[in-house]
Amino acid sequence: MLGKIVDWIDERAKVRDLYQTQMVDYKVPKNLTFPYVFGVLALITFAIQVISGIILLMYYKPIIAHAFDSANYTIMKEIPFAWLFRHMHAAGANFFLAVVYLHMFTGIYYTAYKKPRELTWIVGWVIFFVLLLTALSGYLLPWGQLSYWGMVVTTEIPTSLKDAPVLKGLFGAIGETVSIWMKGGFTLGDIALGRFFGLHVLFLPLTLMALLGIHLYLVRAAGISNPDGVEIDKKKEGVPFHPYMTLKEGAFAMGYLALFFYFVFFNMHHFLPADNFEPADPLKTPPHIAPEWYLLAFYEIFRSIPSKFWGFIAFNLALVFLLILPFLDFSPVKSARKRPLFFAMFVVLVISTMALTILGLMPPTPTNAKLGLFFAAGFFLFFLSLPVISFLEWGWYKAKGGQE
Amino acid sequence: MSAWDTIKTAFFGGLTFLFFFVIWIYNPFVHHTEYEVPSQMEEIINDPKAAVEGRELFKTMCASCHSVRYDGMYLMSVASKPEFKKILDSFGTLIRIDEKTKEKVMFLPRDVYEAIAMNDLLMLKSSFGKIPPDLSTMYLSRGEGYLYNFILKPQEVLPGTSMPAVMTGQEENTAKIVAYLKSVSEPSKGEKVKRTIMGILVIGYFIAMGFLLWIWRKKLLANMGYGH
Repeated sequence: MLGKIVDWIDERAKVRDLYQTQMVDYKVPKNLTFPYVFGVLALITFAIQVISGIILLMYYKPIIAHAFDSANYTIMKEIPFAWLFRHMHAAGANFFLAVVYLHMFTGIYYTAYKKPRELTWIVGWVIFFVLLLTALSGYLLPWGQLSYWGMVVTTEIPTSLKDAPVLKGLFGAIGETVSIWMKGGFTLGDIALGRFFGLHVLFLPLTLMALLGIHLYLVRAAGISNPDGVEIDKKKEGVPFHPYMTLKEGAFAMGYLALFFYFVFFNMHHFLPADNFEPADPLKTPPHIAPEWYLLAFYEIFRSIPSKFWGFIAFNLALVFLLILPFLDFSPVKSARKRPLFFAMFVVLVISTMALTILGLMPPTPTNAKLGLFFAAGFFLFFLSLPVISFLEWGWYKAKGGQE
Repeated sequence: MSAWDTIKTAFFGGLTFLFFFVIWIYNPFVHHTEYEVPSQMEEIINDPKAAVEGRELFKTMCASCHSVRYDGMYLMSVASKPEFKKILDSFGTLIRIDEKTKEKVMFLPRDVYEAIAMNDLLMLKSSFGKIPPDLSTMYLSRGEGYLYNFILKPQEVLPGTSMPAVMTGQEENTAKIVAYLKSVSEPSKGEKVKRTIMGILVIGYFIAMGFLLWIWRKKLLANMGYGH
């Protein structure tokens, strides 16, 4: 019966051809390592977020008089099993960012951003940026103290432009305008909540979905990268995507989901932080305001630089450097496996990013600010060293008789 | 795998694991304040029967200043207004039916409640300096240790607070009130057991599926001549 239905569809939609060409005849390198799974895990987490988000959307009310109660009474207490979907959505947001970061670091390690995959990297960067906006807007919706004050701090960041060394008035006016435009007024109110809700449930997810489609298409178009940094002859060396890779990554994905549901059922105290169970109060500033962990590295770069203006420039630069990574690194050699200098700098990058994130949670004492400055320097050193490393590697490459 | 590969894998894997442990599970670099509860009192806090008594205590000791809207507990002065019942009927939703009194326990949206309670809330503000907060989610935001110590000795835990020390010397009753607040925020014991079983089943399902996929793949690949 099932076979007949598939036959019927196949006659009209040619699904078997599609399956054969896209799943079986599509060849991938045999030696893909474990970190290649993070892309698939990100896709799975996106699906989790969409499904749990749709269910939360049915019960959430985006007006400030009801937002907190709809999240903490209606969803957590009134509707059966809605708690499960809120837990999944909150844990999923953290897992999504975690997996995307791991995916990015994997991409950097295997220099998967190099020709012919520059566009894959750039579209991936846009996905990352949109994802940050999605997380930021979604964090406001429960309208707790952390949601409210986190967004206040975020919308105040553009006003640091007024510390510019030149054209103070102009920069100040731009910063102020952007800040008011983000908030929808001078204070965060119903308008801000409404627009962030709209962005979070409609515009940003749709954008993400479209970008994800382009990203996946580009991965197929340029072929998957190789841990050894050589392009394989797909006809001779490749293994069929299905079942070789799908089942392997499927098994890893099951392990990932097991870990994910461990957090969903038994360890939510980080993903639903205690301070956010207090309704937003514009008159009461909480003692510690720090952004969520996935923004802390950028936040710490911003915070540890004494001038607000240069801090603002620096954390924007951090994002821009990530975007133009394929062009900073013009070496002919691919993958950190074959690039000892690049490998060393990659270790510097990893340690700096982790240290910046952890420092972001600590109080801003002078020692911590100095440490922050040190690790921010480490972060930028990675990007600035890439052209130098590339230059040296071109020399070695040519000395070994490499062709241009 | 060569020795160098093993070192690299252990280094990056270990670093990642350590990083997520610090930011997601336990962060030793951030100061945690612990509030102690005597073990006897902790037993009371975890006892569902104490929570029922705690509700009655809350009504007499706390409800003149604090509401617990998620449990249909409103300021005494508001609940006794003649129009209040009508408002509950028009705007409220049913939370549950009280087992003893067979009365409906109703949830009222915040704006509706604050509109009718505004005068009473402002009166409290003029005597205490701020509007006493609704305590529906206070257990979740503060934890039982903080609540127990704060209710018992407000000035010691939060110097300068406008909360009066109404429970001085009444350890057991304080624990009952905390038990009540806990019962409002936390799922009941039966529900918790259900959730635990559900969690174990879900996790077990995914682990089992992971192993099955792996075994199936090995067989399939052996048949296709790939080996491993």
